[in-house]
Amino acid sequence: MQRRDFLKVTLAGPALGRLPPEGEAHSRQEEAPTRLVVDLTVNGLAQRVEVDARATLLDTLRHRLGLTGTKKGCDHGQCGACTVLIGGRRVLSCLTLVAAVRKPATTIEGLEKEGVLHPVQQAFIDQDALQCGYCTPGQILSAIACIEEGHAETRAAIQEYMSGNLCRCAAYPHIFAAIEQARPLMLKG
Amino acid sequence: MRAFAYIRADSTDSALRGMGSPTQPDRLNPQVQYLAGGTLLLDLMKLEVLSPHQVIDINGLESEYGRIELTEGGLHLGALVRMSQAADDARVRRDYPVIAQSLAQAASAQIRNMASLGGNLLQRTRCTYFRDTSWQGCNKRQPGSGCAALNGPNRQHAVLGVSDQCISTYPGDFAQSLVALGATVETVGPTGRRSVDLEALYRDAQQPELETNLLPGELITGIRVPAGPWTRNSAYLKIRDRVSYEFALASAAVALDLSEGRVREARIALGGVSYRPWRAREAESVLKGQPLTQANATAAARAAFATARPRAQNAFKVELGQRTLVRALLQVAGQTS
Amino acid sequence: MKGSEVRRGYRRVDAVLKVTGRARYGSDFDGGTSPAHACLVTSRIARGRISRFEETPVRALPGVLEILSFKNLGGRIKPGQTFPTGGYMGSSVAPLDSTTIWYAGQIIAVVIANTFEEARAAARQLKVEYIEEPPTASFAVGHEGVDFEGQTEKGPAVGDAIGAHTAAPVKIDARYATPTQHHNSMELFTTTCAWKDGKLTVWESSQNVYGYQYGLADQLGIPPADVRIVSPYLGGAFGGRSFLSQTTAVIALGAKMIGRPVRLEASRADGFTIATYRAETRHRVRLAASREGRLQALIHEGWEVSSRRDTYKVAGVDVSTRLYACPNVASSVTVCAADRATPGFMRAPAEVPYLFALESAMDELAVALDMDPIELRRINDTQVEPIEGRPYTSRALMQCFDVGAERFGWNRRNPTPGSMREQDWRIGFGCASSLYPTFMAPAAARITLWADGAAQVQTAAHEMGQGVRTVVAITAAEGLGIPLDQVRVEVGDSSLPPGPVAGGSNSTASVCNAVAKGCQDIRERIIAAAVAAAEGPLKGMIAREIRFIAGYLVCAAGREPLRTAIARLGRGALESYAENSPHGTPAGGVAGMYKGQPAFTGGTFLKDRIQCAFGAQFVEVRVHERTGEIRVPRLVGAFAAGRIVSPLTARSQLMGGQIWGMSAALHEATQMDAHHARYVNTDLAGYLVPVAADIGQIESIFVPEEDSLVNDLGIKGVGELGNVGLNAAIANAVFHATGLRIRELPIRIEHLLERLS
Ligand SMILES: Cc1cc2nc3c(=O)[nH]c(=O)nc-3n(C[C@H](O)[C@H](O)[C@H](O)COP(=O)(O)OP(=O)(O)OC[C@H]3O[C@@H](n4cnc5c(N)ncnc54)[C@H](O)[C@@H]3O)c2cc1C
Ligand code: SF4
Ligand code: FES
Ligand code: FES
Repeated sequence: MQRRDFLKVTLAGPALGRLPPEGEAHSRQEEAPTRLVVDLTVNGLAQRVEVDARATLLDTLRHRLGLTGTKKGCDHGQCGACTVLIGGRRVLSCLTLVAAVRKPATTIEGLEKEGVLHPVQQAFIDQDALQCGYCTPGQILSAIACIEEGHAETRAAIQEYMSGNLCRCAAYPHIFAAIEQARPLMLKG
Repeated sequence: MRAFAYIRADSTDSALRGMGSPTQPDRLNPQVQYLAGGTLLLDLMKLEVLSPHQVIDINGLESEYGRIELTEGGLHLGALVRMSQAADDARVRRDYPVIAQSLAQAASAQIRNMASLGGNLLQRTRCTYFRDTSWQGCNKRQPGSGCAALNGPNRQHAVLGVSDQCISTYPGDFAQSLVALGATVETVGPTGRRSVDLEALYRDAQQPELETNLLPGELITGIRVPAGPWTRNSAYLKIRDRVSYEFALASAAVALDLSEGRVREARIALGGVSYRPWRAREAESVLKGQPLTQANATAAARAAFATARPRAQNAFKVELGQRTLVRALLQVAGQTS
Repeated sequence: MKGSEVRRGYRRVDAVLKVTGRARYGSDFDGGTSPAHACLVTSRIARGRISRFEETPVRALPGVLEILSFKNLGGRIKPGQTFPTGGYMGSSVAPLDSTTIWYAGQIIAVVIANTFEEARAAARQLKVEYIEEPPTASFAVGHEGVDFEGQTEKGPAVGDAIGAHTAAPVKIDARYATPTQHHNSMELFTTTCAWKDGKLTVWESSQNVYGYQYGLADQLGIPPADVRIVSPYLGGAFGGRSFLSQTTAVIALGAKMIGRPVRLEASRADGFTIATYRAETRHRVRLAASREGRLQALIHEGWEVSSRRDTYKVAGVDVSTRLYACPNVASSVTVCAADRATPGFMRAPAEVPYLFALESAMDELAVALDMDPIELRRINDTQVEPIEGRPYTSRALMQCFDVGAERFGWNRRNPTPGSMREQDWRIGFGCASSLYPTFMAPAAARITLWADGAAQVQTAAHEMGQGVRTVVAITAAEGLGIPLDQVRVEVGDSSLPPGPVAGGSNSTASVCNAVAKGCQDIRERIIAAAVAAAEGPLKGMIAREIRFIAGYLVCAAGREPLRTAIARLGRGALESYAENSPHGTPAGGVAGMYKGQPAFTGGTFLKDRIQCAFGAQFVEVRVHERTGEIRVPRLVGAFAAGRIVSPLTARSQLMGGQIWGMSAALHEATQMDAHHARYVNTDLAGYLVPVAADIGQIESIFVPEEDSLVNDLGIKGVGELGNVGLNAAIANAVFHATGLRIRELPIRIEHLLERLS
């Protein structure tokens, strides 16, 4: 349960936690960015990266860990393309500081198990629940969580609880059908 | 986003110590910020509306402030309870539906999983001139610089509680339900613990750069909602352009104590139309002791908007806000779906 | 192999890559190794010039490597031509050329730093001052007798429209407005540039890789052969990635200056001003009819906002005047200059705004005639366009209406506005016509058939989600008689044989016809050897009777495995390079494709005929009686678009298009601060597109249609058909539900509120 199991945030740059002296507000330009060493678990793999304290989980996944399956559509919590699971819950990686991640993360790259697609991935293929595919990784992770949360019992619930994932190609009806296809399979096992 | 130092607090004390006690606190753009869900803080830090030197991650305090407790006296929500946690809580949904609904209709499932109830109360307006620092002319961001929204696109802006300095809308939903139910927030700060009436936490529009009466460094630890015969008979109605994942154009939090068709007590707060979470006391008193009819609901709504000050593009909110309230009242009274 | 066999249980061929995160989009490349990161600084004023530019302090910030601006790039990038004048650019403003500001959001500097975080923070520190002039944000009200100031051009005309309008017994005269819209595809505008041995590689999502290659070479003054554009998958495009934006050349130069790959990920807000968008339009439509509903006059005047630099226009009167039989037609288009970026193509650029006006007006005329709106369209249906009298190659508009009406349950419609209700909701049914011209352009493809019977198709087409990889694979699988999973498709790279810009819904028709030719060539070579062989089951058979089915050469007398037949040629692989030059391709058009100059033909451009796909849009809306919210529980569209190569992906496109139509009617609009000529809702929280909860039941029906004239394979495009006319259908349904005629989009609560009970 406790964060130490999964993560350590270590200092790599100047003093962590040091309060800036008063009056520094106007001379911030001189400030060097804080560098941190972050340990995180992504798709079951322990990773250690040195990052700027400002780095989001999204940018770290994409640029530092080479996991470009997670997409950026807005960087401000407005589209859902960057959805990943942390500790099994769906969250937006663009509004998550990588330094603040405390539990294991799952991205689209981590769903396939021994060459077998996750039922939600397979359902997206079967229902043609995608066009350009750019929103798809976020849709799939969101859909998995939506089913697990128990928010996929009805089409209306699916629609409401999937509204945090925009699809500009508007594959929506097929996305709903994919969730309906995958749900019984997921719940079975 | 400007560089900052990141620290994790593992106790209330360490959080407060991290805050320090700055001698010249900058209340417009505090140099130290707590990080809870980060859904507001990171958003505004990327935009450089907020540029703290130091960010204190308080999520380590979840075991302390992450609980929902229900007692005879009322509901207690920890400040680090996530929006989804409260929205899905069976007890909250049963006894305080207005709270559960206001949370469930806010933002998206992902954001609700991240966002804390404490952080939610401290939302900042969505006014473009505030969020985009390249605009000149926003009193809330730069005191004395004017208000570009007065004569700009102001469809989203407020009609109640506004001033000539600022007409921005408080964007949240949850606070409306709390204000209607007369909730208080509990805080701990450099000078100790205190309990504040939530409605009084939000300042008026005279000095728009100061939004709340929280003291520098003060940490919200919880929210207390008093029990009452009206809490079960309550609802939150939110009207917007799209069905979900959008801030309100108009909303109404309504809780009614009805007896034989008469209103013993009405608790009403309005959102989407006002500068801050808006308790509509005039409407409440119009209804008190009256049967809840369409005519009385309409009269109450009219009273709620008597002081409205519309602008070029948001005049419809006066009408929409009233209709929203009428619909919510009739809905809670079981007279419409 | 027969289409039905190839397509049995088939899936989008790139679906697995897309659901596993392995499909790589323009934004997913890093240019080799550790690119530097760029961030844009854009102008906050719309008109004037830069008076002060303080870069020295920013150069000292942590991680900053270079700052690009007019100071070091002025005069370095050639101002390109825009598409309508034969060029490749979205705007003729040369980036970072001078201190002049043409529009708000224009790029004025690019900060390059070691990391994304450093670049973004440093860019914000750049202090810039301006000398500002008052800008024009939109249409400027015209002098006497002129609606809006601008350059007017006459459009299609026949007969005496004004006279006929005056004389007719039933007429309407109405004005309509459509707003600015932005493509907002989900992928951001990202460019990564790297130089190696004097050659430039650009990773950027593009629906026009050859155009980008030639345009960029032109801007930079280097040989096109030294430029390569890589764009295997696009995260949506919708027209927004047809032309070079303001960024690519700048990033290329930045990478050269610092000697390292540079990656720019423009913000969502930047995307509103660095590329193109759908222009705001105004319309006046006058219709006149006999009492029986026969059109006697149609006058369509359009006004469009463009930039001060470029007179871009979509001029949709080209189609709006040709949709119905009418003896007297007049039209004009006026382009009005404002201090804004230059607009460009966005999904059905001309048809969306112009058919909103026409199809709303038709509904108004039906009301004036007290006639069913479908009947009005039936009475004025035609197989010959009314201006030059050219025949449509095929036109199944009324079949679409009949099929759609049946499925929708149009007969349940009580024509009286406001008469249909359910609880607190008023119900409205509306319909409208859809049409989209069938454009084509020359295209080339290289087909390789290996000895083991697997094949590869290479063509610089663009996978934007429309499914071009899938239709190409199906065409090759059919053409070579092999299973779908034996076909590899390579697209989206300017080093492949040229495919046209993925615009005007032309990709499937243009590219598949080239692929089919290449396959035919390979088939003929194999057959020739098989029938001429000294032995074998096909020896001496008649060549044209031999089919390629399921990995065999088959004729009545016998069959031979494809591998055996290939082996006879003694080659490791058979290769065919094929070009398709569609009917009406202008002289030099085929050569032009190698320079990224699409010689569009077809549609309304042909001398001898006109070719379009048609559809009928049906919608049910519900308007809340108290609070005025508009919901769309049902969309039914019936479309006739020739041969559908891939029903799976075509249906998805039409469905997405229908949702786009709903979005255009109810959600989307880029709002402006008129004092500053600046957009205010430049993010996805403020620029509304539909979310999952907004979606009702959607049916997209194919009405079978065979058109042997339009091209060899009989294909019309479906990419833009789905969203045309739907905006009008919704406005018409809102009228039916409420009695309120809303002539301005998007339709919002405030338009309805005052008049609801
Ligand atoms: C696209 C989008 C749509 C949204 N739509 C809605 C909507 O429809 N309705 C709605 O209500 N909200 C909406 N939100 C807002 C969202 O609910 C808030 O961002 C969220 O509730 C903030 O909580 P947080 O824990 O993430 O706060 P943080 O971002 O962590 O913090 C916010 C602020 O509060 C301070 N803070 C946090 N916790 C404490 C504490 N315990 N004590 C003292 N200070 C504290 C922080 O220092 C910071 O200044 C939306 C947000 C986004 C991005
Ligand atoms: S309304 Fe308030 S927040 Fe918006 S510009 Fe005016 S002062 Fe700023
Ligand atoms: S990129 Fe995170 S929500 Fe859009
Ligand atoms: S598939 Fe293109 S955005 Fe969803």
